Amino acid sequence: MAVKIYDKLKHSIRYWLLRTLPTCQQTVETISQSMERPLSLDERLKLKLHLWICAWCQWYIEHLQIIRETARAKADELPEYAPGGLSDEARERIRRNLTNQN
Amino acid sequence: MNASQGKFPDQSPDPGRWLDDHGDYLFKYAVFRLRDDTAAEDAVQETFLAALKAYKEFEGRASERTWLVGILKHKVVDHFRRSVREAPLGDESDEGPEHREFFERPEPWQGHWNNDYAPNEWHATPAELIERNDFWKVFNDCLSPLPERTASAFTLREVDGLKSEEICDILSIRVNNLWVMLHRARLHLRNCLQLNWFRREQ
Repeated sequence: MAVKIYDKLKHSIRYWLLRTLPTCQQTVETISQSMERPLSLDERLKLKLHLWICAWCQWYIEHLQIIRETARAKADELPEYAPGGLSDEARERIRRNLTNQN
Repeated sequence: MNASQGKFPDQSPDPGRWLDDHGDYLFKYAVFRLRDDTAAEDAVQETFLAALKAYKEFEGRASERTWLVGILKHKVVDHFRRSVREAPLGDESDEGPEHREFFERPEPWQGHWNNDYAPNEWHATPAELIERNDFWKVFNDCLSPLPERTASAFTLREVDGLKSEEICDILSIRVNNLWVMLHRARLHLRNCLQLNWFRREQ
């Protein structure tokens, strides 16, 4: 019985928060800003509470971090391993232009 | 000393060998950022031309490749500067799509994730992703529909990790514009990757 009441209460609090807090649409903007500047106390509090009740926005943060980490890791070691390169045509054009300059 | 580590400032420069030793590397570096073959080829050529002029200042303190990449970085930034000068920032839609359809419209859940677009678990780590060439193809295709300035802002920030002030200076925008652009680029790219990469991989 006590467990049931507790669950019901928890559910009501979550529901109330969901209706009171900034929406997901507003929250994803705050999440992006948090990667650019320190958030205010108010923004941090609302974000924390929103994340407590919203798994989707938790994934959203995680995905932005995966994208950032992957892009920066790629930037550091990209050219050595990536396929492709100058086309023969471009290589010869650049070679001609360099010879003319030299 | 090995040739590609070359020092010898009194030795005459050999741009033909630079092209053979570093051409592909520099091209891949540039094309990843510029997402355009012709622009990347031009940046590589400009790099070698600038290197020829600056050869006397190259004293072999760094490896030849590091020195050339240092020059190329400036050429890539020059390209971004030039292309935004040709296209001044107009109205808000120039910053990228808002993607309002990602969120519910009718009450009571207005502004919350629409089920079709909501994030879900991605089964991958950055270490796995960087190895996957097909992932980078999707990544590039996902950035392509964004306005050029927005895609450039994203690249300068998320790939090269430049500070806001530097990016604003390069792209001639205010910091508020930059934040809107980065937000829209992230919103768009995340969704596009989920649809075209992560959902298919699972």
